[in-house]
Amino acid sequence: MSTNPYSTRVRELFAMTPHAGDVVGAKAVSISDQDVRIRLSAGVEDGIVTAMRFRAWGCPHLIAGAEAACAALEGHAVAGLPMWTSADLMQDLPVPVEKTGRILVLEDAVRSLGQRLCDGT
Amino acid sequence: MMTEDYIYLDYAASTPVDPRVFDRMRECSAATCANPSSTHAAGRMSQDIIANAATQVADLLNIDPKTLIWTSGATESDNLAIAGGARYRAHRGKHIVTMRTEHKAVTDMFDTLAKEGFEVTWVDPGPTGLLDPAAFEAALRDDTQFASIMFVNNETGVIQDIEALGNICRQRDILFHVDAAQAVGKVRIDLGKLPVDLLSLTGHKFYGPKGIGALYIADRPGCHVEPILFGGGQQRRMRPGTLPTELVAGLGMTAEIAAGRIDDDLAHLRKLRHALWDGIREIDGVTLNGDPNGFPGILNVSVDDIEGESLLLALEPLLVATGSACNSKSQEPSYVLRALGLTDLQAQSAIRFSVGRPTTMPEVEFAAGHYRAAIEKLRELAPEVVT
Repeated sequence: MSTNPYSTRVRELFAMTPHAGDVVGAKAVSISDQDVRIRLSAGVEDGIVTAMRFRAWGCPHLIAGAEAACAALEGHAVAGLPMWTSADLMQDLPVPVEKTGRILVLEDAVRSLGQRLCDGT
Repeated sequence: MMTEDYIYLDYAASTPVDPRVFDRMRECSAATCANPSSTHAAGRMSQDIIANAATQVADLLNIDPKTLIWTSGATESDNLAIAGGARYRAHRGKHIVTMRTEHKAVTDMFDTLAKEGFEVTWVDPGPTGLLDPAAFEAALRDDTQFASIMFVNNETGVIQDIEALGNICRQRDILFHVDAAQAVGKVRIDLGKLPVDLLSLTGHKFYGPKGIGALYIADRPGCHVEPILFGGGQQRRMRPGTLPTELVAGLGMTAEIAAGRIDDDLAHLRKLRHALWDGIREIDGVTLNGDPNGFPGILNVSVDDIEGESLLLALEPLLVATGSACNSKSQEPSYVLRALGLTDLQAQSAIRFSVGRPTTMPEVEFAAGHYRAAIEKLRELAPEVVT
């Protein structure tokens, strides 16, 4: 039985992070919880997410998860972000159960950013 | 040691077996399969092989070969020395002393003895990991009968003043054990001069096979251990069980090779450690954990505000350790580094680079550059601290 804690997908996402950074001048949220920190920012046009970037301080699964989420959410309707769930991400990476809390911080950040974008705040 | 896939910088966890050691083990295996406890000719051949290995190890440490007990490794040697030594002396007192930065093979055994009714005093090191002999002496009592202090720390490379600590124990007739798993074959140890009663060693930390170690038990009055294994009369009843002749022969050859090259090895390691530290010391927030004058095969560093698990992955293809290798699957911060005053965050970001005989200067230079790049990448990824 392998004791390798990271899947190939996690390794690839961790190694290459084209979505790291900030969308300059765009709305952003920052959350610090569960021993991790995450910041998301997104640019929007006509209700569609045109660009999404992240900054993260935490374990490889969080960084990989943030990269995957940003890539997946570009092109999606802003209206869907407040209901976004990390369940598919948890399965795809996959994320070990003991790190669920950290991925839920990412989920909270996406939802919070979505709410701000929808509210225009 | 570099392959296409990785650069091995974890020699404090384990070392590759020297080819001459392999040859010796193969030769012994081919020569006889006999149980060394057997009295027939083939058994006597096995006994001769073991006696020769004992002489080789004894020459390395300047001791009488008869003072060695073969074990399965340092963990067993530590367990036998501590449990066996403390129990042997229990009728004279049940106070025992050790240090907070010892290996788990020592601390867990002390915890076990505490459950048996022994009273344990845990001595704290100073901020560099060095134990002040005065602080050690202050922890001793009239009923102290046993103390255990490691020679070279497995996480930081800190070298304790064994001579000073041993002299304090001798003056008080306290049985003094030294876990020398990281020291034997790597630094000069002359047990003809050092006031040590019990000393643990293992083969795989100095280019020998895994699964074989030894415990030195000084030949002096009051120095003895009770067995922790039962089932035969081998090794003066202190450690029963059939001896693995090939492994013992391998450990003997390992010791002979080390004896001839310790000074050259140390000079090589000093150059590598110096280059490695020089390559990373300018990083903002980097700290060397331990004593700068410690064992040169180990360099333990922390860096501010970096997550340890991500750092370890970003450092691939470097094979390094976070905290103790024996405990590196745990996400708990190293208790050794916490005892040196590091915060949980600093301890979790700690990386132990350990270099060895096969390590080359280009490997070390690559490692320093790769470490710098990994820190830079993770800092670029990180958001500002949310207040």
